[in-house]
Amino acid sequence: MLRKIFLPTIMVILAYGFWISPDFKEISAGVAIFLFGMLSLEEGFKAFSGGILEKILQKSTDKLYKSISFGFVATAIMQSSSLVSVLTISFIGAGLIGLTQGIGIILGANIGTTTGAWLMAGFGLKVKISAYAMPMLIFGVILVFQKSKKLKGIGYILTGLGFLFLGIHYMKEGFEAFKATVDLSSFAVDGFKGLMIFIGIGILATIIMQSSHATIVLILAALAAGQISYENALALTIGANIGTTITAIIGSLSSNIDGKRLAGAHFIFNVVTAVIAVLLMNQIIYSVDIISDFFGIASDNHTLKLAVFDSLFKIMGVIIFIPFVDKLVNFLKSTLKEHGKKSEKSFDSAKYLNDSVLELPETAMAAITRETKHLYDNAFEIIAHGLNLKRHNIISSKDLDEVTHEPYSQSAIDIDDFYNRKIKGIYGEIIDFSTKAQSQMPPEYIVVLYNLKLANRDIVEAVKDTEHLQKNLIKYSTSSNEHIRGQYNAIRRDLADLLRSINIIGTTDEEDVIMVLLSKAKLHTERYDIIANGTLDNLIRNNLISNEMAISLMNDSNYAYGISKNLIAMAEIIFTDRSSEAESLSEEMAMTNSDIDSILKKGDK
Amino acid sequence: MDIKKFIKSVKSTLGLKGFNQEGKKKSLKELLKKLNRRKKSVTELLKTSLDEKEEKELKEELEIVSLQIKKGKKILYKLYAKK
Repeated sequence: MLRKIFLPTIMVILAYGFWISPDFKEISAGVAIFLFGMLSLEEGFKAFSGGILEKILQKSTDKLYKSISFGFVATAIMQSSSLVSVLTISFIGAGLIGLTQGIGIILGANIGTTTGAWLMAGFGLKVKISAYAMPMLIFGVILVFQKSKKLKGIGYILTGLGFLFLGIHYMKEGFEAFKATVDLSSFAVDGFKGLMIFIGIGILATIIMQSSHATIVLILAALAAGQISYENALALTIGANIGTTITAIIGSLSSNIDGKRLAGAHFIFNVVTAVIAVLLMNQIIYSVDIISDFFGIASDNHTLKLAVFDSLFKIMGVIIFIPFVDKLVNFLKSTLKEHGKKSEKSFDSAKYLNDSVLELPETAMAAITRETKHLYDNAFEIIAHGLNLKRHNIISSKDLDEVTHEPYSQSAIDIDDFYNRKIKGIYGEIIDFSTKAQSQMPPEYIVVLYNLKLANRDIVEAVKDTEHLQKNLIKYSTSSNEHIRGQYNAIRRDLADLLRSINIIGTTDEEDVIMVLLSKAKLHTERYDIIANGTLDNLIRNNLISNEMAISLMNDSNYAYGISKNLIAMAEIIFTDRSSEAESLSEEMAMTNSDIDSILKKGDK
Repeated sequence: MDIKKFIKSVKSTLGLKGFNQEGKKKSLKELLKKLNRRKKSVTELLKTSLDEKEEKELKEELEIVSLQIKKGKKILYKLYAKK
């Protein structure tokens, strides 16, 4: 309801303002162009973020100081804390980084935004930057129309910078002209009341513009034109710092719980910093004067002093918060909890798929891979139950013959019920999400995505085959006929062996281990071909099993073969290194059917 | 000069032409080292007294590792031949 009224009200106020004041129109146009420039700049950086940003992010966020430095550098380069926070939420959503690293990046991004104030105060107001804007726009637009992704990215960055400069120019001009007709400084309010009013205006302006950067530039332009007092400008800056948290909060709405916690951390950090700044206002102003004197900034150069203030209070906030980051993480984890903790009987749903990871193809891909692993984890549980084995026994180092002989449950578990609760929903979500992600992905990612979809299908088919296998497995693994019992227990042991191997493959980094285990698994799968290896023939000819048993064994060996084939294919996709040269190596060195035949023949001799 | 030609000339100037292949060669050599170590340890184990099942499993592993080494060497040879 509020949203429905909010937008038209703003539009009406702006239209009225344009009607009564052409200068106000010029300032607003400046803000609009500036914001458009930021959007363009974000678009440009996104073109380059594929790969580089992710690699740097993953390597440079293992320690808090590294996360803070990364946040600072990324924001200083991109000149947008909003982009950095939205990307951070997206990385958290995909499970690529944890909440502590995310908070570190946000702290660094807060300091990084101060570079914008320095650029504007030190350069933007003194040099006629609009002179640079036009060539940038022209070159930028030409490059935007190029086919190459990189050139397009450069084009968007140039266009973005051009619009930023042009926006600053219009804001500056607007305030200069405005000064001649209306004196805003006459509305300046002194004391604590003025501080609160202007903090409120700062918050509101930033919420409307969705950019603290734009608000600070606007404040500096107004301050340079003498339209607001220095004290009011300081209050507006504090307000802008609170208002900027709204972007992250909006971005986190479509994210997972950690994304929401990060937005919460951002809000808490900025509000607490603002409260401290208000409480210590006089001391901070005094410190700003000392620092300004030290750097030779004139006492009446309020724009540069505002940049000093902006930096000082944000750095101060970060320093105060660093010792409490872990406590903040614990607090957020205990306050913001996932809805409805799942009970044993509840329906499982996707953990990593949320719209925030669609920001980048890499994060979308990472989220789908993790979700596929989650699906496999559930499938592992179902297959283990289906084989009437304990999961922890399979992944232990116990002898598998012992494990298969250990009684677990006398009755068969309802695999169909498990499938409906733990597989069907997640599988559906993965396919649905992949389709959504695919529409936003460049062609080079489509093949990888297709393989991931195949891996998901393999998992589902393995579960379905387990369901078919289960009935006779329970019946014959305890049969009084030792021959059929032996055959079914061999199937159970071999499948348990495969699950154990896949578990090792999924947890090791040693390529030789992965390669040997996958090869062994492929080789062992051929054991299920009981017609070819003569097992069935031998059992029938010697009247060791009945006809009914023979048919069941033949069908069930086929199901076991299907489960093995599907799980091996899945493991090759999700557990082998899919990056760069390692991927092509594992493909080239994978065992072929003729390799398997030759090893089997040697074994028979 | 179009962008592809430009990148190509920069790569050859900086000696980055076979950059990907170099990476692949390095990974392969590392993998072969590990596989050879494994082969050696399996061969050593086979010399000790083992039960039938263990011996069969180790022989199978030896076959697999030998095959992988053979394949790896073949790929490495091709990579050097390309150079």
